[in-house]
Amino acid sequence: MSPEQTSLLQGTLDLLILKSLRAGEMHGLGISRRVEQITGGTFVVKPGSLFPALHRMEEEGWITAFWGESENNRRAKYYRLSKAGLKQLEAETKRWSRISLAIGQALEAS
Amino acid sequence: MPLLVKARSFLRNLFFIRRVDADLDREVHSHLEMLIEEKMRAGMAAAEARRAARIELGGVEQVKEQVRDSRTGAFLDSLVQDFRFAIRSLRRTAGLTAFVVITLALGIGMTSATFSMVDALIFRPYPVPHPSNVVSLAGTTHDSKIEDFSYREYLDIRDNTKSYDGVIACADMQAVGYSAEADVTPRIKGGMMVSGNFFRVLGVEPRLGRGFRPDEDQVPGRDAVVVLGPDFWRHEFAGDASVVGKTIRLNGTPFTVIGVAPDEFPGLLVFGHPDLYMPLAMARVFSTDIGKNFFEDRDDRELNVKARLKADANLQDARNELALLAKGFERDYPNLTRSRGAAVYTQFQTRTTEDQNWKFGVVFVILALAVLLVACTNVAGLLLSRARERAREIAVRLALGAGRLRLIRLLLTESLILATLGGLAGIAIGYGVIEWFHSKDTIIFATELPVAVPFQMDKRVLLLCVGLSVLSAFLCGLAPALQSTRVDLVNALKSADVEVPGRKRLWGRNMLVVAQVAMSLMLLTASFLMARGFQHDLMVGTGFTKDHLLMTSFDPRLIQYNATQTQQFYKLLAERMRETPGVQSEALTQNIPMGTDDFDGLTFVPDGFTMPPDRANFASTMDTIDEGYFATLGIPILRGRAFLTTDTADAPRVAIVNAHFAKHYWPGGDAVGKHIRLDNSAGVPVEIVGVAQTIKYQTMSDPIDFVYMPLAQRPVARMVLILRSSGDPLQLLQPVKDAVRSVDPNLPLLHTQVYEEYYLNQAVRGPEIAIDLVGTMGAVGLFLAIAGLYGLVAYNVSRRTHEIGIRMALGAVSSDVLRLVMGKGFVLVGIGTGMGLVMGFALEQLMNSMLFNSGGVDVVAYLIVVPSLFLVAMLAAYVPARRACRIAPTQALRYE
Repeated sequence: MSPEQTSLLQGTLDLLILKSLRAGEMHGLGISRRVEQITGGTFVVKPGSLFPALHRMEEEGWITAFWGESENNRRAKYYRLSKAGLKQLEAETKRWSRISLAIGQALEAS
Repeated sequence: MPLLVKARSFLRNLFFIRRVDADLDREVHSHLEMLIEEKMRAGMAAAEARRAARIELGGVEQVKEQVRDSRTGAFLDSLVQDFRFAIRSLRRTAGLTAFVVITLALGIGMTSATFSMVDALIFRPYPVPHPSNVVSLAGTTHDSKIEDFSYREYLDIRDNTKSYDGVIACADMQAVGYSAEADVTPRIKGGMMVSGNFFRVLGVEPRLGRGFRPDEDQVPGRDAVVVLGPDFWRHEFAGDASVVGKTIRLNGTPFTVIGVAPDEFPGLLVFGHPDLYMPLAMARVFSTDIGKNFFEDRDDRELNVKARLKADANLQDARNELALLAKGFERDYPNLTRSRGAAVYTQFQTRTTEDQNWKFGVVFVILALAVLLVACTNVAGLLLSRARERAREIAVRLALGAGRLRLIRLLLTESLILATLGGLAGIAIGYGVIEWFHSKDTIIFATELPVAVPFQMDKRVLLLCVGLSVLSAFLCGLAPALQSTRVDLVNALKSADVEVPGRKRLWGRNMLVVAQVAMSLMLLTASFLMARGFQHDLMVGTGFTKDHLLMTSFDPRLIQYNATQTQQFYKLLAERMRETPGVQSEALTQNIPMGTDDFDGLTFVPDGFTMPPDRANFASTMDTIDEGYFATLGIPILRGRAFLTTDTADAPRVAIVNAHFAKHYWPGGDAVGKHIRLDNSAGVPVEIVGVAQTIKYQTMSDPIDFVYMPLAQRPVARMVLILRSSGDPLQLLQPVKDAVRSVDPNLPLLHTQVYEEYYLNQAVRGPEIAIDLVGTMGAVGLFLAIAGLYGLVAYNVSRRTHEIGIRMALGAVSSDVLRLVMGKGFVLVGIGTGMGLVMGFALEQLMNSMLFNSGGVDVVAYLIVVPSLFLVAMLAAYVPARRACRIAPTQALRYE
């Protein structure tokens, strides 16, 4: 495991988690692996950041949690995107595009 | 509805925390298991996979703690936890907790009580809207920075200044004879003459009726109207709203009640709460100086002038404007206004200039703060030693993933709880002390006027208490908290004794010892100095006899005597008293020595003196007396003669001066036969016919210039009769009453009592209250310092048991060890003593310059205080050192 240990920007973690859950319900480890996969290994989410973020987002009402069976018949806590979470994802996506566009322009300007 | 969701999780976190936590635990564990499975699938061996997974996870408990911190209401939750934990650990050491709380309570209580004095004397704003705009306008002379104005001067200032929204004037509160109906004997109440715009300019709305109309203060003697003070209204009229429009009698003249002042406005005075407000235009009913015309004479200065500064005016402009006006007065009336200036003072400046009692308050506050500081060092020392004992516990917590900040917060919560308890108990103590002051009301003010000790536990003082508690929590708690959380984990967990004897740490504790000694030494010096200062004054004595004297006052104006009738009354009264059996001698005086009321001032020019160009006259205090005065009070006439019955109104004017006065103006010469001229060098000449021995007049302080004038030549309305009895002075009470009744049955006897009793209240018990207060502070300070000192030194030594064991094992004998530890204590106390002496000396200088003027260093105080502190420190070092020496080295080495 030697991906760049890029530290996550404030708010980015939420966006990545929401985006991962867009594909369907997942448990913590699944989310962590999914983020790694969709960012091409640039971001590795450690449990120390993942769980606090998940619980915070659950308290915000963006995701809901339930206990289910894992692929290996192990009980695991699953998370699923809520309606509010979907809205949040759209808003965050828009915001992020705006920011990345602006930063991109700023960096290209001489 | 995100808010609803949040609220739900908040409640869930609050009430079902166990279930939430169990859920979290399962989740993290299942995560770990899945991680392990993942690694094993990737081909790792079971053990290796387990290890790798654990490293990736970073510790189950740590992850859980991080989640807990991110929960809604996590802050509150952990605060509650901290609080519970702190209470638990404080209860485990209940004795220590109680000591710390009592210590802090004493410090905070003392400080708040003494601050309430300073607050009342200086800081408390006038009870009016926008009080900071209200300034005092005062005259200045060579001898005084704050002088009253005359009525004419007030009118000129009112009409010729532009900086103010209104200029008001009020006379001093004076005794007024009040009766509800005509044929009732009047009683004494406190009345204050005020200008017609008084209430309007101050922004005070009467609670009933109205304030004065502008036209009610125009024509002298026309509008007899009165506004009642709120307390007076409640007591005399039981809060009856129909009082407006009623007629009452003041000094025999009918007045119509037009209003009642509101409760929020007890008046502008610090001590007095006027019962009655009358317009200045009625001055003839109340005027004090018979010889002067209040409305015309520019030098009849009885008015205290205040003004409300305009919102856009600045103080410097106002000062310049008034100074210019005063220059104009000096130019237009050179004889009456020579070398008089004028100044504008803020409330703070006014209060600190007109009365010097606040200085006692400041000294008390300094001393109380020293007590509080001693208390804080005590508490810090105790917490520090406790923190050290808990070092292992803290190291374990840190190792288990507790954040340093969180731990500091926990420790601070502990000291905050201590300080809160201490603060609450301190407020109780402060209340107690203030109540105690109030119980001394009648001793501090032996007068029939409505005055009271103004100290109170109000919002401002309570705020100070809270501030002090929080501050002391940080002072006491922060250093130990920072220190005990900055430990080397590996070392701390390995060794039994975490203490690494770093220089810095020892330095901190040594500082506490030094500070303790220094503070307590300063406290003791101050209290010794004050007690001895007062004692010295009392030993010196007053210079006149106080026993076998009965005193009673008269004010014939209360029953509308005119000046001639008044003097006739006094003449008759003196004659009757001389004939009364049991009366050895009789005296009449305007003011009694060591009394509450101020003596009159006298301005004069000694005949033959060339005055400096910028000075019109000198000033002295004076008293008006009759022929029997010196004999009755036993004051020796050193040269010349006392007053005689031949010194009548028609005879040449005479005066008697005291020895201090004679020596001041005619050093080496004889004052008898010399003349002084009244007011200025063109004034009436008065011959000095005698020199009386200098006594104490108003305070126990240094001797002052003093002039006596005969009553016949300087008529005064309100006089005190003093009778010397052959037996018990109270036996004269009935004869006096009978004699007065035979002259005029309507005239009330005011303030009748045995002089010695009055003197004790006035001159001895007042200072005794101050000595009690300072003595208590000194004793509390010393007690706390000794307890703290003993604790610190003993603890320092007991921490070295291990080291002492090694020394003994290596061959040291007990005397070596004793010398070692006691030598250190000696050095620390020595440094503390040095600092304490310097601080005590500085305070002594301050107190001498402010209060006593007795000068000199009080050696006895130091001779008592310094050795006793050394003794305590030595004992504190000796006892544990002795114990350490006695135990076997093997035992000491195992000792934790």
